[in-house]
Amino acid sequence: MTRTHSTPNFEGGRALILHRPHDVVEATARQLRQIGIHPEAAWPDMPSRAFDVLFYDADMGDDTQFPWSPGSAPMPAIALIGSEAPGRLAWAIRQGADAHLLKPIGSGGVYSALVIAFDAFARRAKMTAALEGLQSRMGQRQVIAEATACLMVQSNISADKAYDELRRDAMAQRVTIEEMAERIVARLRTAHVSNRA
Amino acid sequence: VPSWWGFCIWGLVLAEAGLAVGVLFSQSGPYAALGREGYAGAMTAIAEVNEQQGLRITAEVRDPQGATERYAPLARDIFANTGARHIVGCTTSWSRKEVIPVLEKSGTLLWYPCPYEGFECNEQVIYLGACPNQHVLPLLGFIIPRFGGNGYLVGSNYIWGWETSRIAREIIEHSGGEVAGERFVPLGDTDIARLIEEIRIKQPDFILNTLIGPSCYAFLRAYHELGERDPNFAPDVRPIVSCNFAEAEATALGAVVTGQYVIAPYFETLDTDANRRFLAVARRLNTQQTDHSAFFAQAYAAVHMLAAAIARAGTDAPEAVRAAAMEADVLSPFGPLALDRATNHAVLTPRIGRADGRGGFEIVSESATSIMPDPYLAHSALAIGSANEARTPYLRVIK
Repeated sequence: MTRTHSTPNFEGGRALILHRPHDVVEATARQLRQIGIHPEAAWPDMPSRAFDVLFYDADMGDDTQFPWSPGSAPMPAIALIGSEAPGRLAWAIRQGADAHLLKPIGSGGVYSALVIAFDAFARRAKMTAALEGLQSRMGQRQVIAEATACLMVQSNISADKAYDELRRDAMAQRVTIEEMAERIVARLRTAHVSNRA
Repeated sequence: VPSWWGFCIWGLVLAEAGLAVGVLFSQSGPYAALGREGYAGAMTAIAEVNEQQGLRITAEVRDPQGATERYAPLARDIFANTGARHIVGCTTSWSRKEVIPVLEKSGTLLWYPCPYEGFECNEQVIYLGACPNQHVLPLLGFIIPRFGGNGYLVGSNYIWGWETSRIAREIIEHSGGEVAGERFVPLGDTDIARLIEEIRIKQPDFILNTLIGPSCYAFLRAYHELGERDPNFAPDVRPIVSCNFAEAEATALGAVVTGQYVIAPYFETLDTDANRRFLAVARRLNTQQTDHSAFFAQAYAAVHMLAAAIARAGTDAPEAVRAAAMEADVLSPFGPLALDRATNHAVLTPRIGRADGRGGFEIVSESATSIMPDPYLAHSALAIGSANEARTPYLRVIK
């Protein structure tokens, strides 16, 4: 065993426990305080303040409680599950549980759920960012083709030469090739519109 | 609050029959030396309580013989068949984790008197031993500035060794040192020649030992032999440092352990009135026991805290006793003993002892103040350095 796992530290963090007043809230809060996290409970409405982690009730919760679309909580989310009925589990999953705790909450489990949820959230955030990057680059491929075509027509040059020119301009202006293409297309569109007018 | 009449009747019942309390330590098996310390400490305190007016305790003794799978059935037997609602016991974390589901089901309490690796705060357990911010962290805080930052980690192959070594690795790496090696030995295994050879080649500044039982003794003997052959491995050059080592073990090993360092809340050599009083009582009530370790003293303190809490609560109902324990004033062999309400762990003052080779430890350093338990290491900086030392003055050198 030579790998280093650093000790996860949550000191000073703020947790929201979205659950009706219940022993579950007190037991979760007690564990959070042991771990160095400040707990706050609310039900049914979410306070507008920022939190570092969310514990949400899978038994009585509903979509209207959250100001984000299902599955896109901007923080690690931990489902508090009492009823294991498939319908409630499906809802907890749709809300994007990064980890879960089974009720009743005793004097363990919160630390594991936090460590797992923070790791899952970090992976989720990384994947979302990577996906957005890929999607935007795929969308921009069309712009590059359009700009190349514009330059071909404008200067009566080959496709290769037009692409080279696009690349050179991008480097000279220190922007990405996609961004340069956007500028060329936008310029020509404006010119086209003003010519027609 | 029990009614006055109820209290009197309850008191009469206890005076007649005695209140059953479970004592669950392994007196044989791979960690028998430590288990016997806990057993003897608990029994000594029970004898002392029974000498006094008031509460009479009947010890319900069970011996799991070092077999992890025997702990839960024996705990169940104590609770189901004796009427006891408290157990003083367990040495290893494995055994404690076996007992916890039984406690949770029956709403009973375990008074756990040994150091462990932390990351647990069970409501049904009162933790009287040290957790990592009270053992391995201050130990390395003493050792690294004096001997250097490169450590070799060796432990028994279970959670105590794994996790204590992992925390030590983090502290070492954050303190600018390197881990020269990390090895785990199966419980009871004494084949450690390869380990010694690796240490000889890598020349770490110190060795953190979390081995228990025969593996530990074999390792200490072999390292001592290496030091005899090659002064480069003498204990004043590259010491072995431990968080779990008892006086009885040091006595059995003799000169082999001279110069090695141990951290614990209690050493028999503690120069305080509380300790002198304790040793006088312990020697009178148990003439068999010649050495008294932290494992003995903590089990002894656990029984006294339990007895004080029962007296204060006027019942042995676990919830009431736990609440009363938070308020109880208990003078332990290592000073006034208090519990942290938030975690059920003891507030402790760690001491560092250097083995004198005759079973004793010269206390070379002690914490300037008692250290609050931090079982999840939420508030403890895991680094030893000049900047950090100023922030967390763990230990005051007294010799």
